[in-house]
Amino acid sequence: MKNRLTRRQWLSRQLKSVAALFTLMAFRGIARGQDRDYFTGTDFVGKNRTGEFRNFYINYWKPHRRIEAQEWTLEVAGLCRQPRRFSLAELQALPAREQVSRLKCVECWSAKARWAGFRFAQLEALVRPLEQARGVLFHCADEYVEYLPLETLRHPRTLMVTHMNGSPLSDEHGFPLRVIAPMKYGYKNPKAILRLEFVAAEVWGTWSKIGPYSADGTILPGTDHPLEYNKQPRRIPGGEITHY
Amino acid sequence: MRWCGVLFILLFIPAGAAASESVRVPPGLFIMGHDGDSAAGPERHYMLGGFRIDRFEVTNGEFAAQFSGHVYPEGADEHPVSHVTWNEADAYCRSIGKRLPTEAEWEKAARGEDGRNFPWGNQERKRMPHPEFSGVVKRRPGTDKKDVSPYGVQDMAGSLWEWTADGGDEGKKFARGGLWNLHLDFKFSQTWEKIAIPPGEKFSFLGFRCAQ
Repeated sequence: MKNRLTRRQWLSRQLKSVAALFTLMAFRGIARGQDRDYFTGTDFVGKNRTGEFRNFYINYWKPHRRIEAQEWTLEVAGLCRQPRRFSLAELQALPAREQVSRLKCVECWSAKARWAGFRFAQLEALVRPLEQARGVLFHCADEYVEYLPLETLRHPRTLMVTHMNGSPLSDEHGFPLRVIAPMKYGYKNPKAILRLEFVAAEVWGTWSKIGPYSADGTILPGTDHPLEYNKQPRRIPGGEITHY
Repeated sequence: MRWCGVLFILLFIPAGAAASESVRVPPGLFIMGHDGDSAAGPERHYMLGGFRIDRFEVTNGEFAAQFSGHVYPEGADEHPVSHVTWNEADAYCRSIGKRLPTEAEWEKAARGEDGRNFPWGNQERKRMPHPEFSGVVKRRPGTDKKDVSPYGVQDMAGSLWEWTADGGDEGKKFARGGLWNLHLDFKFSQTWEKIAIPPGEKFSFLGFRCAQ
């Protein structure tokens, strides 16, 4: 007896084909989204891996409005004797430091740059944290919150950064102020900072609260995939990556 | 009489005895290094005298007993100590009449005489040391019953990396071992693997054990 499709079978097959087509289109759309620049030429800045940012990926927690230098001040508050606000000019007048270091993301990629700014100790001298202060909570323009202990902020390789590769930080890289702590994964390097709050105990940051990211954020021994080496894997010893 | 024996043990064996227990590694040749790993050096036969090495990594409680300023999270007495510099680790071992193991001692204690890749043999375990977390997960030393070397030394592939006595370029000291965390499976914890760390650094992933 010859097998013939019933109307029900024919309809079922047609529906499955349409569903498969929509699924394929959705996946292709998502894949394209990775390479799409949503922010250049707009008032907003956010995640970007296109154009020049293929060489240094940009991650933000949420898109946020670009910061105007003349409207921005850094608020320093919490457990300190002299809480106050700083203009960008005041911060840029602090003794300048410069270092070349690699930013290593917990996603596995890394990229290197020349960073310039000032030591956290310079800021501490002006606001005088109280004895019970153990760390600082950074509140950022993209609503990202991250905690760093004073021990890390006082580390000789940690820098409060205003410039990258000889130019003021771009909006994408955290204008007007970011932290570079090269011994920690990128999520412990907050950018586009609005407010610093001295606190008495460790507070879990945004990613540590919701994701499988440790609150400590130290770069662990393992493998790195540096962008300038076409993501070819390299073994790393943990802590700051200094050998390439 | 039996009760007298139990009473003797309860009274005279210190609480931390199990954790600071050491095992004897006999003298003789063993296979050190690994071809193709420039850091580890080529595979070669290495003659080593006999020595003793701690069965477990040093814990927070043990470290704090010698250095009262050591701060660690509540309830973490029996977790392996970390965030200690090389000098602090060295000082601890000396304070209890021991020393840090040399690299060769550490490697022989981990791989025995047959040049195995992992303390338990040559087969990589499929299970991740600790899935779903980017950081270091600490547990009581000896929790992983399979991570045991031919001499009975535990946690040489997992738990923490460990300071050794030896160093290399730029004054860095070598650490050996492996980790429990998300990104790394046990292939990053092979017995010849080494990393070089500046001695003044202290990390969440770095602890130690002693030898004598």
